[in-house]
Amino acid sequence: MDPIVEFENVGVSLGGRRILAGIDLKLAPGGRVGIVGPNGSGKTTLVRTAATLLSIDSGRAVVLGLGAESGDLSRARSAIGLIGHQPALIPELTLIENLTHVARLAAIDTGRIQHALEVVGLSEAADRRASACSFGMRRRIEIAHLLLTKPRLLLLDEAAAGLDASARQLIAALVRSVGDRGGGTIVVSHDLNQLDSLCDHVLTLSSGRLEEAR
Amino acid sequence: MRFWRQAFEIARVDLIVERRLGDTIRIVVPFAVVALVVFPLALGSRITLVSEVGFGIYWALGILFGMQIALRQSAADTPERRDLQALLGLEPAARFVGRSLSGGVLMAGFLIVLLVATTVLLDPEVPDGGWSVLVISTVLVAIGLTELGTLAGEVTSGLRSRTALASLIVAPLALPLVIGGSQSVQALERDTGILTWILLLIAGDLALAVAGVALAKPLEEATR
Amino acid sequence: MTRVRVLLALAGAAVAVGLWLALTAPPDALQGEYSRLLGIHPPAMWLAFLAFGVTAFGSIMWLIKKTNRWDRLAAASVEIGVIFTAIGLFTGMVWGQAVWGSPWDWQDPRLMSTAVMFFVYLGYIALRNAIDDPQVRARRSAILGAIAVVQVPLVYFSVNLFRTLHQTQSIRPDGSTMPDEMLVAMLVNMAAFTLLYIALMAARLDVASAEADAPPESAVAGDAVRPPRLSEVEDV
Repeated sequence: MDPIVEFENVGVSLGGRRILAGIDLKLAPGGRVGIVGPNGSGKTTLVRTAATLLSIDSGRAVVLGLGAESGDLSRARSAIGLIGHQPALIPELTLIENLTHVARLAAIDTGRIQHALEVVGLSEAADRRASACSFGMRRRIEIAHLLLTKPRLLLLDEAAAGLDASARQLIAALVRSVGDRGGGTIVVSHDLNQLDSLCDHVLTLSSGRLEEAR
Repeated sequence: MRFWRQAFEIARVDLIVERRLGDTIRIVVPFAVVALVVFPLALGSRITLVSEVGFGIYWALGILFGMQIALRQSAADTPERRDLQALLGLEPAARFVGRSLSGGVLMAGFLIVLLVATTVLLDPEVPDGGWSVLVISTVLVAIGLTELGTLAGEVTSGLRSRTALASLIVAPLALPLVIGGSQSVQALERDTGILTWILLLIAGDLALAVAGVALAKPLEEATR
Repeated sequence: MTRVRVLLALAGAAVAVGLWLALTAPPDALQGEYSRLLGIHPPAMWLAFLAFGVTAFGSIMWLIKKTNRWDRLAAASVEIGVIFTAIGLFTGMVWGQAVWGSPWDWQDPRLMSTAVMFFVYLGYIALRNAIDDPQVRARRSAILGAIAVVQVPLVYFSVNLFRTLHQTQSIRPDGSTMPDEMLVAMLVNMAAFTLLYIALMAARLDVASAEADAPPESAVAGDAVRPPRLSEVEDV
């Protein structure tokens, strides 16, 4: 089967500065790769490049069978799920309204939303505004969103930071679910214990280059 | 179909957020009306000028304060939300159209309220048939100003001084809208050329709509 | 709630009596039927002045005591004051159009100072709506409420301090300039509107207390969060 993500000698620059250089990465179906590295090493840039949100300057990048030269990355993007540093909710909408908004934009059946809320443990908080919810609750809604979209490529950028134990278990269940469906996961974290428990192997990103973690 | 579904969803959520925050009604509208009051006070003993230039004041304040309404949506954008929208497959052009729809509704409402306030407070001279021309040109200016503001918000997305920069972009480009609006009413007094100015406003709105849709995707790629 | 209903009923009855007196009093020789606005315009402005005065009192008490009920008092009173200032401005414009031939005079100190007062208290409401934190909201609006009240005597005495189209006070230490029927109608309406203010304040404060006593909506992670159903992750 084709890899979920395949980077060959990928380089990415932002604002005139080289952030990633010579990145080689292959994520097989069902694979779970962890990435650790110091602040400013380019972890978020790597995640966003894998999400097709950033263009590469050099090398070859294929995500879900589509290369940048294909000209239409939207088919790949619809199968990508990303949890970044900050939740992407609209503060003035309630939790259920945020999920409904996401479902409508992605043409997903809104009838599944209530079940998704129950699975993440937020069905009783569905009518609270996102601005009145804690960081952990907003993270759970992002997980609920991914339960709805069922991505083939899951990207977690410090997703578990600041979460309680049950929310971390939810993330682990999500990662397992993606793998069981033949998808792949890239996890970025400073927490080596978490990476060890979630991932098959861990890479170190340093000065824009990936190496096997020692 | 998907394009329009996404555009209406963006517009729907934007109007819900505005209803809950209430910035347009609670802050921009009273502020604009207070600004309306400043002119007669500033003119002092030459108070009769106010009714002569009343509609000019209306268009000037409408553009200046309307810009704040046009720019407020993009001010609420966060990089995380834009990433999410990209991954959900939201077409950039659909976002432009959706924001223009919701912004147009708010803008038209604001300008109509300002028009009523101008009429009551400044008692401007209205030529025969002037009201229908004023309402039509107000709606057309509202659409054009919203499209400009939405475009300017995209162009300046993520920049450090985006608020001032976006206003700087919108203000000069809005001048043709001001001219079109004011000339359409003055054309009534000359009894000629009304339709020309209305058609020019419509053409301007269509041109901005085409530009917004065509430039939406390149602008989104450029702001990553 | 019963107390509020009784007050509202009494106020409604009093206002009805006052308006009836205003409608049945003989019209003014010069102003004609428009003189009946005496039953609404001065009482509305009196109610506004009273409301803003109570706001100032509540604001100062909050600054001293820092208890929420003074903040609720001040905020409720401003809302009522703004509404009745708007009624006063509108009825004044109708009256001005009839008597002066113009609804507004930009150089009239009474009109302009009233309009400025209206916008300042609108700004007070906008300020409160812009602040989520109750303590910060109470402090900032208390400061504004305590300062903004200086406008009330300025508006009231503007007709004495400056040359203005607006007539001076109808009731003076040396007597009244109005016919007795009109004077009675105006005074009864002043009393009725005062009762109306008390009833509206009672109703508004009841709502404000209920809002304050409601369980807080904001949830620190906990009270509405349940354990996730990990076994159902695949089933969504």
